[in-house]
Amino acid sequence: MANVGIVIVSHSPKIAEGAADMVRQMVGDSVNLAYAGGDPGGGLGTSVPSIRDAIDRAWSEAGVAVLVDLGGAETNSEMAIEMLDAERRDRVVVCNAPIVEGAVMAATEASGGSTLEAVRRTAEELSPQ
Amino acid sequence: MTPEHLHKLIVAVADAVIAHADELTELDQAIGDGDHGVNMRRGFEAVRADAAATAEKPLPDALKAIGTQLVMKVGGASGPLYGTLFLALGKTIAPDASNIAAAFAAAVQAVEARGKSHPGQKTLLDVLAPVQAALADGGPHLPARLPIVAAAAADATVPMLATRGRASFLGERSIGHMDPGARSSALMIASLCRALEELDLG
Amino acid sequence: MRDSPATEQATDSAELVNAVGLHARPSVKLTQLAKTFACRVEIALSADGPWVDAKSPVKVMRVKAPCGAVLHVRASGPGAAAAAQALMALVRGGFGEPSHEPADLSHG
Repeated sequence: MANVGIVIVSHSPKIAEGAADMVRQMVGDSVNLAYAGGDPGGGLGTSVPSIRDAIDRAWSEAGVAVLVDLGGAETNSEMAIEMLDAERRDRVVVCNAPIVEGAVMAATEASGGSTLEAVRRTAEELSPQ
Repeated sequence: MTPEHLHKLIVAVADAVIAHADELTELDQAIGDGDHGVNMRRGFEAVRADAAATAEKPLPDALKAIGTQLVMKVGGASGPLYGTLFLALGKTIAPDASNIAAAFAAAVQAVEARGKSHPGQKTLLDVLAPVQAALADGGPHLPARLPIVAAAAADATVPMLATRGRASFLGERSIGHMDPGARSSALMIASLCRALEELDLG
Repeated sequence: MRDSPATEQATDSAELVNAVGLHARPSVKLTQLAKTFACRVEIALSADGPWVDAKSPVKVMRVKAPCGAVLHVRASGPGAAAAAQALMALVRGGFGEPSHEPADLSHG
């Protein structure tokens, strides 16, 4: 079974790219990784089509864990997930975790072949309860 | 409803949002991140550009098409929220709009679920919910009354404390400003009702 | 659940020699290595514990051991000896990172 993929969604394309760089450097390339940042007009924000594309790029049969920053990133990610095909929809989760640390932790967990649920749990260990 | 009628309604709503984009931006600069006007204008310019093709579709499909465009083009949190409103309307409404009250109720519920929010948190729901209630109550002259309900509901967000969305980061400082999403909802409802009255379909 | 006496057990220890100690990147490497073994693998800063799951990136990162600290490992289950050995080899090898403070370029 392939490793769970990771998607990073930030309002800022630079934050998304930088967080993805950190994951690549720290965790290596054994997990699929993609990021989305910026609104449809190129400003700060998030966009459903670019999130959907990132999920496509990071797609794994084991599923995809999505790390987000502020409010709209979560709402847009949930919208993007809902617009996926029915058989993919249930294999993508948004993690309630800080974006950078959550992405590194989730990717580390994923690199060991853990399930989507385990990857999400590890990322969410970082969140204040 | 003919394609011509539907076209007129779509254009009326899109034009109203586009014309008030700067006002929405100003409201959002006070308590949000200042992008509501720009985002909504981008979305409704796309809706307007496709209005002729959209109007040829049966009403449910036309609403879904508008919802998809808003999801794809608006961005921010408003894209998925307004997108969900139209997508859910399209999913429930009858082609002749005879069940508009029930469909609108379902759509408002879908927006609540999408935003994990409920009325009273200084959001677009504070306009959508009272409009939905008035629509459910029915009675005469709805197209004349609903804009009044919507405007009053938008005004009522001014003293509210935001507990959802970007404005909630401001805490008490969110008090004293109208919610931009409430304003854009009221605008859309007013322009739609006015166009319905002009068509004399209401 | 207690392990049966027949369960393979192993303990070992090694000094952290890389400059940053058990920081973020080394933590990730250690976790990834631990995950390649089926047995239970734990680490601690003392032979008495407290022991943390070496396969949990979050818990390993919270250990925050500096350069010079001694890291203890204990493993139990199939492949325990190999796991303890591999983890300590990673630590002794400085996680493949510089073992001394990098040259201070500001005085160069």
